[in-house]
Amino acid sequence: MDAVTASATLLQPAFADPVLDSQRSFRAALKALAGPGVTQSLLSAQTPPHLEGLASASHALCLALLDIDTPVWLAPRFDTQAIRANLTFHCGCPIVSDRQNARFALLDDSQLHDLSGFDLGNDRYPDQSCTLLVQLPSLQGGRQLAWKGPGIESRNHVSLPLQEAFWEERESRNDFPRGIDVFFLAGSELMGLPRSTQVLFKGGV
Amino acid sequence: MTATTAYTPDAAQSVRQHWFGVLSRTHRADLAPHEDALRDVEYRMIRAPEIGMTLVRGRMGGSGAPFNVGEMTVTRCVVRLADGRTGYSYLAGRDKAHAELAALADAHLQGPQQSHWIRELIEPLAQAQAVRRARQQAETAATKVDFFTLVRGEN
Repeated sequence: MDAVTASATLLQPAFADPVLDSQRSFRAALKALAGPGVTQSLLSAQTPPHLEGLASASHALCLALLDIDTPVWLAPRFDTQAIRANLTFHCGCPIVSDRQNARFALLDDSQLHDLSGFDLGNDRYPDQSCTLLVQLPSLQGGRQLAWKGPGIESRNHVSLPLQEAFWEERESRNDFPRGIDVFFLAGSELMGLPRSTQVLFKGGV
Repeated sequence: MTATTAYTPDAAQSVRQHWFGVLSRTHRADLAPHEDALRDVEYRMIRAPEIGMTLVRGRMGGSGAPFNVGEMTVTRCVVRLADGRTGYSYLAGRDKAHAELAALADAHLQGPQQSHWIRELIEPLAQAQAVRRARQQAETAATKVDFFTLVRGEN
């Protein structure tokens, strides 16, 4: 069996209504970044059918955000034949092995201690940074932290299950306006953490 | 697949290219008589028929510098039969039902009934297209004008 036939057997349907469903997912992503720390939910009717290894919110965001102009980097856990075949088919996105060239990256929680190599944008074009899609088992259950910054009225209390190493990595790569925007995804829920959000640790300001 | 198998990717590919070309030149009415036979199978959409644009490029005389001829409407569709075969179609125009039928035809043509479908569907269509093309070429040839310049008498 040649490669084309092999990947054809892995293909499965994406959004039932490609235009409206990707617009709804995009809207949820916008709201997530505009209101950091607030959980957004996708309705099950507007999420794509299950793709092995991806949560429905991750899958929906991939279909809504990725296209031929957005090279994507996959963490080893997501670098499966089925995910490769379906993302390439439905999004047309190039899959790169080098983090530096990626516009989006799909990560799981085992990768969060090392965010080296991702593009932070530059002072003239900070928007060219790499956006991280981080799939977590849940959006709760970790240490509670207060977030503040644009889009947050006073403080949002968020308890994402993340290691300290992630916050240190994020801090070390946050050189406004350069930096990394992150979506956290679990099940059909998502939460945004833009570079402009300050995370207050105990004793912080 | 072992090296001893008679399967050669190039031959299979050119056969498929042939039926793909024939299907892409069909009209909706050409496939209509086969509609019931084509749909008589369990299938689902991998990519429901969708309409888009594609840029057509050409080369003057086939060998000149490439230039953009213009954009054309294309409808594409991908179906999966219950046994796993995947059929693709890319057609000019905006007829979604036509694209679905052509994708089903591609899926059927990859199966065990391939020779049946080639005999029943592809060969008659290819012949009809050849006749259509020959007639159009003959009509066009009748309008051909040979330009020539008479030698001017200079004395």
